[in-house]
Formats: sequence, C-alpha cells, structure tokens
Amino acid sequence: MLAAVVGIAVVALVAGAASPSGHPADHPVARSAHSVAPAGDAARGSSGVYLESAGGAAVRRASAAHPERAIPETAPLPVAAFDRPIAAYRRYAGRDAVAMAAPAARLTAALRRGDRGAARTAWTAAYRRYLLLGAAYGALGALDDAIDGTPGGLRGGVHDPAFSGLHRVEHDLWTGRRPASIVPAAQRLQRLVARLPARVRTVEITPLDYATRAHEILEDAQRDFLSDRAAPWSSAGVVATAASVDATGVVLGTLRPILQGRGDALEPVETRMGQLRGVLAGIRRGHHGTTPRLDALGSTERARLTGALGAALEALAAVPGTLETVLPPDVPKIPESR
Amino acid sequence: MSTDRRAFLLRTAGTLGAGALIGAGTAEAARADDAPPPAALPSTGAAGLDARFPFDGPHQSGILTPQTDAVTHLALDAIAADRGALIQGLRSLSARARELSQGTTAAPDLSDVDAPPADSGTLGVVVAPDALTVTIAFGASLFDARYGLRDRRPAELIAMPAFPDDDLDPARSHGDVLVTVAANRRDTVVHAVRELLRPVRDAFALRWTIDGFQSADRAPSPHGARRNLFGFRDGTANPDAKDEGGLVWVAGRAPEPAWTAGGTYTVLRVIRMHVEFWDRVGLREQENMIGRRRDTGAPMGGDHERQDPRYDLDPKGDRVPLDAHIRMANPRTAATRPQRIVRRATNYSRGFDEAGQLDTGLLFVAHNASIERQFAKIQARLAGEPMTDYVTPVGGGYFFAPRGAAGPSDWVGSGLLA
Repeated sequence: MLAAVVGIAVVALVAGAASPSGHPADHPVARSAHSVAPAGDAARGSSGVYLESAGGAAVRRASAAHPERAIPETAPLPVAAFDRPIAAYRRYAGRDAVAMAAPAARLTAALRRGDRGAARTAWTAAYRRYLLLGAAYGALGALDDAIDGTPGGLRGGVHDPAFSGLHRVEHDLWTGRRPASIVPAAQRLQRLVARLPARVRTVEITPLDYATRAHEILEDAQRDFLSDRAAPWSSAGVVATAASVDATGVVLGTLRPILQGRGDALEPVETRMGQLRGVLAGIRRGHHGTTPRLDALGSTERARLTGALGAALEALAAVPGTLETVLPPDVPKIPESR
Repeated sequence: MSTDRRAFLLRTAGTLGAGALIGAGTAEAARADDAPPPAALPSTGAAGLDARFPFDGPHQSGILTPQTDAVTHLALDAIAADRGALIQGLRSLSARARELSQGTTAAPDLSDVDAPPADSGTLGVVVAPDALTVTIAFGASLFDARYGLRDRRPAELIAMPAFPDDDLDPARSHGDVLVTVAANRRDTVVHAVRELLRPVRDAFALRWTIDGFQSADRAPSPHGARRNLFGFRDGTANPDAKDEGGLVWVAGRAPEPAWTAGGTYTVLRVIRMHVEFWDRVGLREQENMIGRRRDTGAPMGGDHERQDPRYDLDPKGDRVPLDAHIRMANPRTAATRPQRIVRRATNYSRGFDEAGQLDTGLLFVAHNASIERQFAKIQARLAGEPMTDYVTPVGGGYFFAPRGAAGPSDWVGSGLLA
C-alpha cells in the first residue's frame, strides 16, 4: 500500500524526464556487460548504416551480418532518460531500507520476551520491507545473500553455518525452536539490516538493470514465492507476492514518463497490473482483511492469483525491449577457418 | 517353474536378433533348434524395432552408443539383506536386461494358464530389442558398511554436492544404484522397467525415477544436436564417441581400484527450466546467454552448427559473449580440452508445480573419466552464468558405471563384488 503511494509521488518527480542527450558515446549500455555495443562498431569494420534518431543519437539501421533482423520500431532511448527514474527509485529504496530496521528490532524484542506470535508478525513485516526494495535486491550481492539467502545451495542445507538472515530466523520461528534460542540469529539479521541503507545508496543500477527489474521482480515472485519455495516455513508467499507487486508498481511509476508513447507496452501493463492488484485485494477481503498464508488459499484463489500474475508477466515482458538504450549489435562474422 | 520359463525365453533371444544391425555377434544366448520362429520384425535401420545394442562387452551400452529417444532413470536403494543377496539382485538385473535388450518373446505358457504370466505382455508376444539399453551404475552410498564395500569405493565417487544456485530435493537425489533404461520407443522403456524390477524386489527399492525424451531430428538442418526445452541445440560440441581420448573410460590405475577399469563416472542432474520466464525473454538476450543462434544452432557470428566459434579471434566477446554458456562451459583452449565431458541429455516434462508453472527441463547426463578433472571444473566455471536465473537444479546424483559384463554368465558389477 505504502509503496503504491510512494510510486505515485515518484511519477510526479520524473514526469518529463525523457530528454535524449546528444552523443552516442553516452549511450552504450546494454542488457549486460557483454553486449555493450556501439563504441567498437567502426573498429569492427561493419557496414552498418547510420542514421539520425529522433533525439539526435546516431544509431545503426541494419545489420550486415543478419539483414533479416530489422531495427526495432522505436529508436533506442538515450541513457540519460533513466537518470530521473533511477534517482527517484534510489530515494524510495533508501527510505525503505531505513524502514526495515524497525520490524527487525521488534523481531528481536519479541523473541527476547518469548512472544512467538509477535515475533512472527515482526518477521513478516521485515520480510515484506525487504521485498519492497524490489529493483535493488538483485544488485546487493553478498549482503542480499546474507539477508535473503535460502539453504538450497548450501552443502549443509538448513544446518549449514552459512545459512543466516531472514530465512534462518523464519526456519527457527516456524519449526518449534524456543524464541530465546533464535535471538542471536535475529541480532545478526539486525546488524545486516543496519548495513542496508548505505549499500542501497551506493548500489550501481544501470538503465538496463532497471528496465529489466520492471518484469523480473514479479518473475521471481512467480518462481519463488507462489511456489512457496522462498519462504516455506512461514508460507508467506502471498505477502511476498503482494510486496513484489508494490515494488513493481514503484518501478513502473518511475518509468511511466518514458514508457508513455513508446510502442504499446504501457497500456496492457497497467491493465494487467490493475487486475493483479484486484485479485490480491479480493483475497484479502476473503480473509477478513488480512493477507493469508499461501497454504491457506483456496484452490480457486490460488489459481486466480497465479493466472493474474502470469498475465501481468506476459505484459511486463515487453517493457525491457521497449526501453532498450542500444540497437541489437551487429555480430561480426566468424572468419573462415584456417 | 519360473526358472524354466526364463530359460525358454533366453533360448529364443538368439534367433530373434538375427537381423539386427547393431551389436551383431554379441548375443551369445543359446541358439536352440527348438526355438519358435520369430515373428517378422520391421527392419528400418537403427531406429527400427530390431535395432540392437550389445548388452555384454568391455563397456556398458547406453554410454557412448547412439542416443535413443526415450529414457527412464531409476534411482534405487539397496535393501538386500547381505552381500550375497546384493550379488543375486545384480545378477538378476543383468540377466533380465540382457534378455530384454537382445530381444525375446513373451508368449504366455498356455499349459499353465492359472499361473501369472512371466511377462506383462504390454509389448505383445514379441519383445523386439528396439535399441534398448540398460546401464547400471553405483552411488557413493552403496560403499558403506552394509555390504563390506568401504574400501572398494571409486576414488572420486561422493554424494553429489549442492552447487551454488542448486535447490536439491533429497527425495529426488542420490541413490545406491542408478539404472538407466533407454530405447527408441517409450513403450519399450516402460515394459523394460516393469520387467527389470520384478526379479529384484527384495534387493532394490525405488528411491526416485524420472522419464526423459529426446527431441526429434528435425528439418531444416537435421543430424544436428537435438533441441532442449529452451529451443536451443544442446550437445553440439560433444567429443566424438569414437575418439574420446581418455575423456570417458577410467583406466583403473591407482588411486582408482582396479575394478573400475572400463567404467565411467556418470553425473545426472535434474535441471528444472523455468520455461514461462524464458519465453518472456527477448531473442537477443536468449542467444547471448547461450552463445548460439536459436534457429541454426550456429555459434554467434556463424552460419552452421558445427562451426568453430574461434574464441581466439574474439577475445572481448564481440561475437560470443564472454559469459555465454557455451563459452564458459567449453572455452576450447588447450588447457580446457582434457576437461570435456560426453553429454547425453534428454528433456523431461512432469506436470506442474504449486504455482501452476510447468515442471519441465533437462536431464543433464555427463560421462567422464574424472569428475574432479572434468565435470566439477566445468561446473565451477559456470557458477553465476546469466542463464542461472532461468534454471534450478533440483535433483540427481553422482554414480559410477562399471565395465560391461563379459558374457551371459557374467553380470554388471561382478568386478566389484565377485
């Protein structure tokens, strides 16, 4: 809820941000480091044709190597178009990271008191806060692993000493451990959370990362949350999915000014996201205004949630391509073998 | 009684395989004059019902023999009461596998219609070989105190560790014995699995199983590696089966125990592919993650599948990105050449998960002479590759497939246990 409100505020901040800059050297940002393209084009001896895009950026029209691959219908965006969306998101994420400290502290306090119920509530609030970071957590590296890591890839599974953070506490809190025995793990979590705001402030977010996160936050939800894989002990899949929907809403809110009028990705995204929010609201209404555990969903509720999420994802999949900052690079031919 | 019937079935096997194209001369089963004449079998080459791979030989079939379309992996727990019972179980497994893979009959004994038939009859009365292979391998857990095998363990055989980004389900991982049943047709595999388990019920219990299929060899560029469920050709750079140059077979020299000679380490990994997610990824990104064109299978910048990507001329990854799967897995340098593995992957599809997403993916199988020198090196190199987001390894195990049986009186595993 809060995220949605923030999202709207952010939209106002970034409105009109899409002002293309002038020089092609500013542009080469691709989906990941390996596809950084234009700088070396001339050196590659490609015979691509250059033309002026609407914003004045030099872009190549056709690929000599793969002439069947036409140029996208919209010219690439200048990298600078992402400056304000990412800055707005960074401010949002910084506030959210700070806000995670409170439920983390409540968690430790409740465990000290031996109040398992309050501890579970605080844990869920902390988890939700973390997921509201959305666009950043994929870039937080080792800190993300420490806070949100699951035991699947650890040799010792849940008994592995490296199993820490939110899910260590979750495991202990829902598998009958004495609350007092969980205090050290909760304190460790608090220390990790304390490092979060500084990390979020400095994390590198490229336009490509950012555009990609617009759909990948919910891809993760589909893969990890609605399968109950990520939080199996608390069965917090619905809370986690709802937080991911909110986080996606924030990202989309910042991107809306540059998405508007570019291709036709925005309208289906807004329709499907609205329907997805509607399904989540219906589920809360059906459970006395609370967000139920995933394993408490009826089969129809679950199928509708899965379906609405899937449909939203199909629409969101168009976002990264719509926001590309480079044309598909001209892949050089492999020289004839010796 | 049942023994007699088995003998009858075995006798018929020799005549049935007379026209087989593959493995001729290896079926040493008795050629009895009183065997009934075989029913006519279609003779349509290697894909025909009469295609036959030898069961006996220096190496087990199903490792370097041409890959067939349908496979079932059976991970078994050994429940045999003692070493003698384990030996009996393995003997029975080999004997039945030999019969089925060389072709046999399943005609019921009409003189005793009150007895349950010896064969399920699901293939009718003629059990054609259909290129059936039954490959038997041992997991690290077999080498514990139960059967006195502690000091016989292959030097590199351990329980498959969880790699970073794995999410291994213990209920679908490991096992004392892995039996891989493969054939050209699914019904042949299903029949063989049912028949193989029948004589070994008190020796082996099913731990987990999974079925795989190979994609068809399709135009426009047939005879390439088959496609996986990401739509990409998989296995193009496999070492040539005829010239594997020490990549597959263990020599049996110290520190390996001598009985391992002629065997191979088998890595099976059940890799779930998040195909809904994958299908929402742009073609450019898909191809850059793999390093190949999806349509032709050619390395990026190339025109045909088998083309050398010439990484030596592409040091910055202008063609094939430096973190593309094919480049990380096989950088094609002199140093990584001995690390290559023989892959024998199939696809799997087994319903869907709690979130309504298809449970489908790849049954990665690698055969190699040394896990440490080969598979584990490649796996370490692949850690964190961009494709990681779209796949989750969920099960499998490390196994050791010993040399083949020497003949009808021998059995797979005799070198270890006899």
